[in-house]
Amino acid sequence: MANARALDKRRKSIRNIKKITRTMELIATARFKKAMDRATAASDYTSRISKVVADLANAGLEVSHPLLDAREETNNVKLLVLSANRGLCGGYNGNVIRLAARRLEEIKAENAGVQIEVSGKRGISGFKFRKIDVDKGYLQFEDQPAYEEVEAIADDYLKQYVGGEFDRLDVVYTKFVTSSRQTATIETLLPLGSLDLGEAAEETAKKSDQQSLYELLPSAESILEEVVPTSFKVKLFKCFLDAAVSEQIARMVAMKSATENAEDMIKSLSQTYNRARQSQITGEIMEIIGGVEALES
Amino acid sequence: MQVVVVTPEKTALDETADSVVLPLFDGSYGILNDHAPMIGRLGFGELKIQSSSRQDRYYVDGGFVQVADNIVSVLTGRAIPVNDIDVKAAETALAEAEKMEAGTAELAELRQRSISQAKAQIKLGRG
Repeated sequence: MANARALDKRRKSIRNIKKITRTMELIATARFKKAMDRATAASDYTSRISKVVADLANAGLEVSHPLLDAREETNNVKLLVLSANRGLCGGYNGNVIRLAARRLEEIKAENAGVQIEVSGKRGISGFKFRKIDVDKGYLQFEDQPAYEEVEAIADDYLKQYVGGEFDRLDVVYTKFVTSSRQTATIETLLPLGSLDLGEAAEETAKKSDQQSLYELLPSAESILEEVVPTSFKVKLFKCFLDAAVSEQIARMVAMKSATENAEDMIKSLSQTYNRARQSQITGEIMEIIGGVEALES
Repeated sequence: MQVVVVTPEKTALDETADSVVLPLFDGSYGILNDHAPMIGRLGFGELKIQSSSRQDRYYVDGGFVQVADNIVSVLTGRAIPVNDIDVKAAETALAEAEKMEAGTAELAELRQRSISQAKAQIKLGRG
């Protein structure tokens, strides 16, 4: 029979772990709410930009810009992977890294050069483990990515893209679909393809059926020159926000199941402990009775 | 007339005003009530919002403005109240921008952009 005292010790340590995971779950919940609020606040900007784009299209403006069109040959690809700085969030980092590694194989099969940039400590160490060289790592993004920091990266990318250093930018991140569903996805952000920023654009396009008579200052071309890079920046920012929200959800779920698991373990350990204790007591009583009987005879 | 200033992070301002002066790409532009619909490209400079009781001044960092139905929506990367501008940081940014390469047309444009961005901040920050 197992030692009752050892069992009790084990139960205590599991109880402590349960306290920790429970706290982490609560922290993740609080952070998730904050990150979610930021993502909602950002969607206001996105929907307004989409409205401007829709109005421009309505005004009969031909939308063409070097950032929109795919290049004839893709010789160099930049891969940006958004992972977390911390672990203990279930499959969150693993899924992103696995997807990125698969895309890497595809790019290599196309015989294109590749530069890898990774945000998050876990992603960087994940690539190191797979013996893949990372060209640049970012560690500054936590649960509330700042637009200014993302913009600096976006500006760099625009500069490099225009300068011909790479011909395509793929972003691997965890997309926030609903609060119960997040999936690791790959999105090609450069070339942009279209200016469509999501469902908001369609909505506004329907609403503004009546011919809009906008005055365009200083000129339509000049506005377009600014709209295209801005929508790229906003899209990239949205990727970061999505990744941040998804990370918190993943951690919340992981910690919740860890807490529940700890509860189950405590339950089964308690049972074994009680049984062990009882058999120990029974054994002791038997010994005493045996001793008494030996004395009497 | 309603004025809404939106940055990618948050809605910086949402209030009614009597007049707005915008830093358009090619110069200042004033807007009063019942302005005709327009979309404009913003430059780097001062956004002045005048209401009956007070005047708000912001530095805006490029972006767009859309005017329709007495709603002025300003979409910009950053909107900083004039009093919060960090002149020192802007000065170092200007020095850095002036050192940038301008080999090709694109790079020259980028350099020019960074310079005017920093200059506008310094000008506003010094008041």
